[in-house]
Amino acid sequence: MVKILADDLHVLTGSYALDTLPDPERAEFERHLQHCPACDAEVRGLRETAARLAMAKALPPPPGMEQRVLAATYRTRQLPPLPPERRHHRHHWRIPRRMAAFAAAASVAAAVALGITQVSTQHQLESTRASDAAIARVVTAADARIETGRTSAGGSVTVVASAALREAVVTATGTPPTGRVFQVWVMSPSGARSAGLIADTSTVLASAVGPGDRIGITVEPAGGTSKPTTTPIAVLPA
Amino acid sequence: MSRPEIRQWQPEPAAQEPDLVALLARVARGDHQAFELIYGELAGPVYGVVRQVLRDPAQSEEVAQEVLLEVWRTASRFDPARGSAAAWALTIAHRRAVDRVRSETASARREQKAAPDIAPDDVAEVVAATLDHQRVRRCLDGLTELQRESIRLAYYSGYTYPQVAQLLGVALGTVKTRIRDGLIRMRDCMEVTW
Repeated sequence: MVKILADDLHVLTGSYALDTLPDPERAEFERHLQHCPACDAEVRGLRETAARLAMAKALPPPPGMEQRVLAATYRTRQLPPLPPERRHHRHHWRIPRRMAAFAAAASVAAAVALGITQVSTQHQLESTRASDAAIARVVTAADARIETGRTSAGGSVTVVASAALREAVVTATGTPPTGRVFQVWVMSPSGARSAGLIADTSTVLASAVGPGDRIGITVEPAGGTSKPTTTPIAVLPA
Repeated sequence: MSRPEIRQWQPEPAAQEPDLVALLARVARGDHQAFELIYGELAGPVYGVVRQVLRDPAQSEEVAQEVLLEVWRTASRFDPARGSAAAWALTIAHRRAVDRVRSETASARREQKAAPDIAPDDVAEVVAATLDHQRVRRCLDGLTELQRESIRLAYYSGYTYPQVAQLLGVALGTVKTRIRDGLIRMRDCMEVTW
């Protein structure tokens, strides 16, 4: 299981685009890109920018090089295209660049506040991706707001909420006691509704969040419960 | 030692991005004629950026050839939804050049060979007339000194960011943020649309 500190990684988009990351970090960032749509979008724009830096240094190629390269193409087999699903799997994440910049900034803010850890075992990759798409949607919302706070368990919690989407992305740090999980609740005057467990993914998407609702986190037995059984370790406005 | 004459590289007028995308699709189907046209468009920038990093002409030529052959070999993997054809090829080129620098176990070898027949400033002068270069220079001028130097040392000199930090005498984290901030400013200044 590989744990990655996302706050460090988000600022690496520029360094990655300029090929200036030393090797272990480059590989780590490439893994991170697989499930960080905001970083991926930003890297694309910065790569185009780097390409302009390259264009500005164009030189006439040495004489004879063209003949040698053309001759080599006749001796070189080409790669077949990738199957469509692999080729396009990232397009789901395509976010307009301006939005991506904001998403990255919001992610950085959230990650800095939190030190979000992302678990990238193969098994959990799909659910992680799903939540990343949700994160992208919420943090790129025009009305996205970020709330951060400490938990009484010694960690921190961040809520990125969009009133227009009625959704909130919740992230928390810290480790629950053995056999326990962090459970996220949407708390309204009519009661608390579970939004999911932090143990399954690093983030939880709370949907159908109404005006005045709050986000609460409790420590619950593994698997979670239908109603909070302990006093929340943190409550934040959604 | 007389300075060798350097012609100015100019893109051909018809060289627009949609053409490159269409050409690459033909290259992916094994069209050698389309590859010749791609070569005409990309060999100059590819060789230029590789040379910028490696300095040694013979080594640069070797790497540039590898890169262009890689464009032939992997044309089917180019995905126009993810960026321009030029950026795709130049990403391969810059990375190959950087990898070559890093794999040189004897960095001394590079230093020994680092008697370039042209000084880097001369290169800059010669290409100064191109539109691309003017724009890049104008936008680079808009950066802070630290942003500009970080980007220059990282991209044009091919140093790793810890090496850049050491050269500039600043913290690692500072270099990482300056590179990102500076590049974002460059991107917006040059109105890059990806």
